[in-house]
Amino acid sequence: MIRTPPRADADPASVDAMQAFQDLIRRLVKDASELRAIEAGEVDAIMDPVSGKAILLPTAQAGLRESEARLRSLLALNSDGDWEQDEHYCFTSYTHAAIGITPIFDGEDIVGKTLWALPFNNMSKADWRAHRNRLEHRATFRDLELRYVDRAGEAHEISVSGEPVFDVRGKFAGYRGVMQDITARRHAKQLPKSGHTVANNLLAALPSEHYQRLLAGLEPVTLTYGEVLYEPGQRIGHVYFPEDSFVSLLTQVEVNHSLEVGLVGREGMVGIPLALGADISTNRALVQGTGTAMRMEATRFSQEFLQSVPLQRELYRFIHVRMAQVAQTAACNHFHRVEARLARWLLMTRDRTSSNDLYLTQEFLADMLGVRRAGVTVAAKSLQKRKLIRYRRGHINILNRRGLEAAACVCYQIIKKMRF
Amino acid sequence: MQTKRKKAKKSVPAATTVVVMRLYIAGSAPNSARAIANLESICKRYLKSNYELEIVDVFEEPQRALAEGVLVTPSLTKLSPIPASKVVGNLSDENAVLLALGLKGKKK
Repeated sequence: MIRTPPRADADPASVDAMQAFQDLIRRLVKDASELRAIEAGEVDAIMDPVSGKAILLPTAQAGLRESEARLRSLLALNSDGDWEQDEHYCFTSYTHAAIGITPIFDGEDIVGKTLWALPFNNMSKADWRAHRNRLEHRATFRDLELRYVDRAGEAHEISVSGEPVFDVRGKFAGYRGVMQDITARRHAKQLPKSGHTVANNLLAALPSEHYQRLLAGLEPVTLTYGEVLYEPGQRIGHVYFPEDSFVSLLTQVEVNHSLEVGLVGREGMVGIPLALGADISTNRALVQGTGTAMRMEATRFSQEFLQSVPLQRELYRFIHVRMAQVAQTAACNHFHRVEARLARWLLMTRDRTSSNDLYLTQEFLADMLGVRRAGVTVAAKSLQKRKLIRYRRGHINILNRRGLEAAACVCYQIIKKMRF
Repeated sequence: MQTKRKKAKKSVPAATTVVVMRLYIAGSAPNSARAIANLESICKRYLKSNYELEIVDVFEEPQRALAEGVLVTPSLTKLSPIPASKVVGNLSDENAVLLALGLKGKKK
């Protein structure tokens, strides 16, 4: 009498289970209206006084499985994987399609970890703080773009979206969402169009046939603010020719102390040790300005470098300038006041971004100048007082370029003459 | 539909009477989800904000269901105003729900 879903493929075990349920229902349920509701298929569970637990009816079980499967197949349509997190934002489950996000997530078990515990390289502490703040407010987030480098040295970019999950009583139970590998899409977007002008000065200085030869091994990439290209002591995977991006080279003294010793933009190349026969970076290369760059795989670059005399000439010239720049910066850091150095640094950055609006945190500026954060605050306030810049929560707006040049130490002009 | 609704409104004892209900559900099982949606729709149309609804998940609090004599889920219990009443199922039968909540007379 109890309606059960018609199943052509019902195996003996499930028939037995069904029978057991019907017996249970007959034993427990006496009320006519309750029996009617069960017959009409409107009941999900009945209470078993013996075990003290609710027992889900087979129809409800099938319904739950079906809706789960439907959701998953829907998600699979436009994502490479879906995930779930508990109320502490730790992953509880993760699935992925055959292609897509495999490298770090396969090699590493992400279950039990938060998103910010994973080795993404484009998010600063402040970025993660902002993200976590959104989560604390139970906001839905869309297309959070994260980058990482897999064990083979390949860069990947994924996009993550998620929404909060609440239980039936409205209590927060975690997040769930999808991930998508957008590496290929990114690259397709960046492919140079025909008639693409060479935006990197070093490449542009090469004779056409040498440039064309190099081009075959070059790949356009987007470098994102905060991304680390090399760590000290790490093998260099790629060399980079920045276009409208720029990269800061930092020397680390102690764990928490680093100092900028060079800034590379469109005039140069990141990965100089390779041109000098070393394949290990001595500096940390940190992306300062988001933008495009051309990159080449390290072994390929070494071969090309040996074969192209014009490339050697350009690079040696650049290295010479870099050495002079490092020497000048060392002297500058020793002799000049923080305020003048800050002005120099802002101008150098401005020359590379062609923008008067810079986004820089105090912590970051302190690293750049090798001073404490308080020192940066005092210097920035002083420049602001003179109406040369406006400084507000990491946003620096250059108001008076000429004035800032006057406030900067002579090193700005010296380095500028070296470069341009 | 429009006339029905008006009638029903007139038969509500007093606009300020707060109806207190408890809905027992089984997690996110299909009938339970439907029952919540159906009840929400009814409350919105007939009770505005004059109701209190507590939702009890029998998977989380089976002892409550047992103690309160609830055998099948989903089921809706009206606790106040008295007399108490009960509706079993996914609450798609709106008449039955309105009757149980005292929002409608015995006759249609």
